[in-house]
Amino acid sequence: MSQPRNLLAKVANKDSGAFQQLYDEFANRVFRYALTILHDRHLAEEIAQETMIAVWNGAHRFAGRSKPSTWIFGIARNQALTLLRKEKKAEKLPEQNLVQADPSKHILEREHMSKALEKLSSDHREVVYLTFYEGLSYGEIAEILGIPPGTVKSRMFHAKRKLAEALT
Amino acid sequence: MTSCKSIQELIPWYVNGTLSSHEARYVAAHLAGCEVCRDELTQTMRMNLEIRNAFDALDELHEDVKKGVLEKTSGKSLASFDLGSFLLGLSFGASYQKGRVPIRGDLKLLGRKIRLISPK
Repeated sequence: MSQPRNLLAKVANKDSGAFQQLYDEFANRVFRYALTILHDRHLAEEIAQETMIAVWNGAHRFAGRSKPSTWIFGIARNQALTLLRKEKKAEKLPEQNLVQADPSKHILEREHMSKALEKLSSDHREVVYLTFYEGLSYGEIAEILGIPPGTVKSRMFHAKRKLAEALT
Repeated sequence: MTSCKSIQELIPWYVNGTLSSHEARYVAAHLAGCEVCRDELTQTMRMNLEIRNAFDALDELHEDVKKGVLEKTSGKSLASFDLGSFLLGLSFGASYQKGRVPIRGDLKLLGRKIRLISPK
């Protein structure tokens, strides 16, 4: 599979095959990221859909200064926050469990952690997600969130403390 | 002298391997002589695994969303079919796009998708 940067360049020229590859690479990751912010499956699906459409329409605006993942997650975050503001969903969002029932042997450990993650604020949870699940640097996360790198580190420091408390 | 707090703030990115080589050396040098920060590293590595497992269990995006996105972007789906299971399968699809009918085909092996036919 081509590198996301090459795929984006092809998508800028309306290459549908490249777009499908980019979709396969990112749509589910965007959906999960949106789920960590919104806690609502249907809204997260909407964000995944709108983000991938925005990628198709705006690929020519990708300047190449950042990684494609940083750019795409940034779009997803803006879409999610716009949706939250527009519909004032923050208070109305149901507190759905992030994790589905799973019969694996790790279920207890996994449920324990997922419950701890649910206790974090959205700000803290997305830093945890982008660091440990997406493997992004603090600089890339700062770019996505539009905050200084020091604030990313500080959010992570407090998120870890809260997770540790919730897990004891 | 390096403060433990400044090291502990960097440990999550030491664990995910994204620190610059300079920062990674700075953290490693401190860890060699600080038991408190080594404990923090152990706790963060354990947390990293548990967090990855927890996020791995999140819902997957429904296939229908893809169809909707493709219809609104690269073309209208004309036909598609899937054969097989998660372990081994084939999928083919054709769409209408600006007077053309691009066809794609994928082989799915252990959940990974390998493109057999790419739309031109």
